Amino acid sequence: MAQQQKPKMKKIKTVKDVNGVPTEVEIEVPDTGGPTWGPRGSHTLLNHDIERVDGPAKATGAAKYTYDVRVPGMLYGRVLMSPHACADITSVDTSAAEAMPGVKAVVTLNDKQVKYEGDPVAAVAAITPEIAEDAVRTIKVAYKKRPHAVTYQQATKAGAPAVYQNAPDNVRKQGGSGDRAKAEAALMTADATVEREFVIGMQHHACLETHGVMVDYTGGDTATVYASTQGTFTIPNDAAGALGMKVEKITAIVEYMGGGFGSKFGIDLPGQIACRLSKKANAPVRLMLSRPQEFLAAGNRNGALQRVKAGASKDGKLVAMVAEQYDLGGLGEGGLAGLPYIYHVPTVYQESNSLHTNQDSSRAMRGPGHPQTSFAMESIMDDLAAKIGMDPIEFRKANTGDAFYHRQLDTAAKEIGWERRPKTPGGGTVYGPYKSLKRGMGCGAATWGGGGRPECQVDVFVKQDGSIAVQVGTQDLGTGSRTYTAAIVAEEMGLPVKAVETRIGNSKYGQANASGGSTTTASLAPAVKVAAVNAKGLLFAAAAPMLGVKPEELSAANGKLFVTADPNKSMTWKQACATLGAAGISARGEWSSELAGNGVHGVQMAEVEVDTETGHVRVLKMVGVQDCGLALNRRAVQSQLNGGMIQGLGYALLEEHWVDEATGCMLNPSLEEYKLPGAMDMPEMVSLIDDGDTREVVIGMAEPAAIPGASAIANAVFNACGARITSLPITPDKVLTALNAKA
Amino acid sequence: MADKRDEQGADPGLSRRQFLRGVGVVGAGAGLADELLGGEKAEAAPLSQAPAGAILKPGMQKVTLNVNGADTTMEVEPRTTLLNALRNHADPPITGPKLICDQGACGGCTVLLDGKTMYGCMLLAVDAVGRKVTTVEGLARDGKMSPVQEAFVEKDAMMCGFCTPGFIMSVESLLQTNKNPSLEQIKAACSGNVCRCGTYPHIFEAAMAAAAKMRGGA
Repeated sequence: MAQQQKPKMKKIKTVKDVNGVPTEVEIEVPDTGGPTWGPRGSHTLLNHDIERVDGPAKATGAAKYTYDVRVPGMLYGRVLMSPHACADITSVDTSAAEAMPGVKAVVTLNDKQVKYEGDPVAAVAAITPEIAEDAVRTIKVAYKKRPHAVTYQQATKAGAPAVYQNAPDNVRKQGGSGDRAKAEAALMTADATVEREFVIGMQHHACLETHGVMVDYTGGDTATVYASTQGTFTIPNDAAGALGMKVEKITAIVEYMGGGFGSKFGIDLPGQIACRLSKKANAPVRLMLSRPQEFLAAGNRNGALQRVKAGASKDGKLVAMVAEQYDLGGLGEGGLAGLPYIYHVPTVYQESNSLHTNQDSSRAMRGPGHPQTSFAMESIMDDLAAKIGMDPIEFRKANTGDAFYHRQLDTAAKEIGWERRPKTPGGGTVYGPYKSLKRGMGCGAATWGGGGRPECQVDVFVKQDGSIAVQVGTQDLGTGSRTYTAAIVAEEMGLPVKAVETRIGNSKYGQANASGGSTTTASLAPAVKVAAVNAKGLLFAAAAPMLGVKPEELSAANGKLFVTADPNKSMTWKQACATLGAAGISARGEWSSELAGNGVHGVQMAEVEVDTETGHVRVLKMVGVQDCGLALNRRAVQSQLNGGMIQGLGYALLEEHWVDEATGCMLNPSLEEYKLPGAMDMPEMVSLIDDGDTREVVIGMAEPAAIPGASAIANAVFNACGARITSLPITPDKVLTALNAKA
Repeated sequence: MADKRDEQGADPGLSRRQFLRGVGVVGAGAGLADELLGGEKAEAAPLSQAPAGAILKPGMQKVTLNVNGADTTMEVEPRTTLLNALRNHADPPITGPKLICDQGACGGCTVLLDGKTMYGCMLLAVDAVGRKVTTVEGLARDGKMSPVQEAFVEKDAMMCGFCTPGFIMSVESLLQTNKNPSLEQIKAACSGNVCRCGTYPHIFEAAMAAAAKMRGGA
C-alpha cells in the first residue's frame, strides 16, 4: 500500500546532563521541514508583553497548589528526621505513636544508619497536622553517634572519618584537562599573576512551597498524585513503584507549584513516604516537608572550594591558568563548570573533584555549577585587569571573541553609567555622614546551553462553537509556560490570548519533558507551534470552500479568516469553526528542531555602596542584559531576569548555610536566619532583553539569569573599596577583615 | 511532652481524661480516637458564645470565625493557628493564605484582622473569634478583582505565585491608609513578606499602579 519511506533525518544539537552539568550533544531527529517563527517585527502577541493567563487565579487565591489540595478523609503526614550527621540506629520504637488517638499509619523508614542531619527515620499520618506533629515526637529512636565531617575542613583533616568507604580521604576525582607543568611554566611568562582560594558555602533553593505531595488513594487500584514538582511525568513511575500499582493507573497533577529552582524532580522523599503511609492507611495523605526539613533534606546548591592561579600579559591577554576545583555537595556529587569558564586562556591545567561531607546531597540549582565558577573566574579577571591597569570591560573583550558578550557588555555599561566608576579599585570618593561610604561597579557574564528536547506532544482542539484549547502535560514553575502556550496558539489563529484555554500539568495529557536546564521553552514552544499550525491547516481545509478558495490561500488574524490576496473575502472565527464537523478538530504537534535553539549568554553589572566603617554592602543598581532567541513573552523574560539577579544578590550578600562542626547540625534552618533577599534589599533593577540577538528560534534563559549577579557584586565591592572578598556571601565581617589586611 | 504541659498548669478542674483527649497523649489507648472523632464531638463548647475570659480546655473546640464577611464554624484545638484553621479545618478550605515559614518570618499567610495586617501563623484561631478576618479570597467585589489584584496581574507581579496572596494583603493594607505611597514606603510595607522567585520590582510597580488607579477613583 502506502510506501513505507524512512523519514529523512537530520542531526541537531541538544543538551544533556553530564555529571549534573548541561552539555551539548548531537542527536538525530526526523527532518520535518515545517513552520518557522518568522522574523522580528512580524508578531502581534509574541515578543510583546503578555499578561500571565493564570495571573487572576494567583492573585485571588483561586490557584490550588499541592499544599492546598484537601479531600475528605485526608490524613496529614509528618516525617521524623535524624538529628545527627552520622549515627547508627540501635532501635526505633513507634509504639506510642501507633497508640495515639487520631494516628492512622506509622512507618519506620530506616533502622540502620543515618548519614546526615535530616535523614528520614520514621513517619506518621494522622487526622490533623497537630496530632501528626505530636505523634512523631513520641517516636523513640536510639542512636549510637559516629564521628562526622560536615565541613570541608573537617573532611580533609588528617584522620577524618570517611563519609564513603570507597573514598577514604573524602575526595573523588571527577575529571580535568591540561598539563600542570606546562601551565605552571606558562604562568612564569605572564606579566601579572594572581593566586586565590575561593570558598563558597551551600545555597538553598528555599522554595516557598516545600517539597511534598498529596496522594489521593483510598484503597482501590487507581491513585491521583498531586505533586509540587518540576516534572509532571516524573511522578507516575515513582508513585507506581511506591504504591505497588500499574503506571497507567496513576494520574499526576501539577496545576500550580510554588518554586523548584532545580530541586524538585521525581516523587522524592516526601512522595515515597506519603505513598507508603497512604497505602498503609488506605486513605489520602498529604505530606509536605516542614520549613526546617526543607533546609535539611531538600537539597542545596553545592558549595565550592577553588584554588586558582592565573596570569595575563601587559597587553591584556590571559596567558595561563592552574585551577583545582572541589565541589562541596555533601553526600552528593555536585558539579562545577570548568574554569576558565567563558574566557579564552591558551594554556590551562584544570581538575574537578568532589569533596564529600555528612550533609544532604546537593541538587541542581538554577544554573547548576555555574555561579560558583563564574565567581572565581570573574574575580580573577578584575584582579588581573587591575594589575595590568586595564578597564575590566576592555580586558574581557580582549579575552573573548564572542560578539554577544561584546554587545551585551556595551549595553549594560551604558545603562549603568560605567564611566562613573572609580578607575582604580578603592580609588573613588569617600562620602556620607561619617565619610565612610564608597561606591563601585562590577560586571560578570554567563553562558548556558539550554536547547530543546524532542519529547513534547501538544494537542490543539477546536470546537464547532469556536472554543479552542491547547493541552499538554507540562508544568508551569512560574516561568510562564502556561501563558506562552496559549499565546503561541492565539497568534497562529489570530485570536486574543484569552480566547485560548490552556490545559497543562496532568500526566494524562500529552507527554512533556521535566523543567530542567532551561529546556522547557525550547522543547515545548516548538511543539505548541506545530500543533497550532496543524490545527489551523485543518480549519482552513474545512472553511476554504465557503470562501471559494483553496486552504493555502487563507490567513487568520484579528478574529477572522480571510483570503490573503483579498482580505475583504472573510469570515469570522466563529463562522469558520461552524464549518467543522461535530467532533471539531484535534491536531497534535511534536517538536521541530527548526524552532528551537541553544546557547545563550548574559551580562550583568552592579553598582554598590560599601560602608568601610561597618563593612556593610548595599547594592544600588543592577543591570542585566540577556539573549534568548525570540522572546515569547517579554514581560515574563524580564520577570525571570529580575528573579535571577535577585537570587544572585542573595548569593552575593545574604544566603549562608551555617553548619556546626561540633554537633554536625545546621544552625539556621529557618527563613528567620537563612536570609533571603527582601524588599528592603532591592536595588534599582534594569532588565534588558538583548534585541541584537535576531535568531529565529526560542531558547530558555532562566538559568543564565542566575549566574553572574554575585560575580558582578563581588567585583563592584572590589572596585569600591579595593578589598577582594574571596568567599560568599560577602558579609560585613569579611569586608572589614579584608580592608584591615589591605591597610 | 504531655507531662510538661501538665506541670505548666492545665486547668485543675480539667479531668485527666479530657486532658488526654485534648493532647492526644502517649498510651492513652486507641479507644480514645473514636471519642476524638465521633461521640464526644457535641460536647465541644461553641467558643464564640463562651463568656469573656473563659479558660479554654485542650481538645477540639467549636469556633465560629468571621472570614470574608461570612461566619464559618469549625472545630480546632486551642493551639491551632488561624492559618491552619483556615487551611485545614474550615470547610471549604480557605487556602489563599499560605504556610511557608510557620514562624512569622515570610508573610505568606498575611491576612487582615479587623482591617490590619496579621500573620495567620502567629495568631491562634481562638483569638480570632469575634474579629473580622479578610483573606485574599475576600478582596474581589462582585467577581471583579480589587485594584491591587488587577495591578498585580497587569504588572506581572508574580511568578510561581505562592507568595502573591501575602504581598497583595500587605499592599492592600498600605493603600488603605496611604493613597500616595513612595517607593520607600512600599518597600517598608512589603518588608514582612518574602518572595523567592524575585518578583519585587514588579510588585513595587504594581503597588504604584494600584495606588494611582485608586486615586483616580477606579
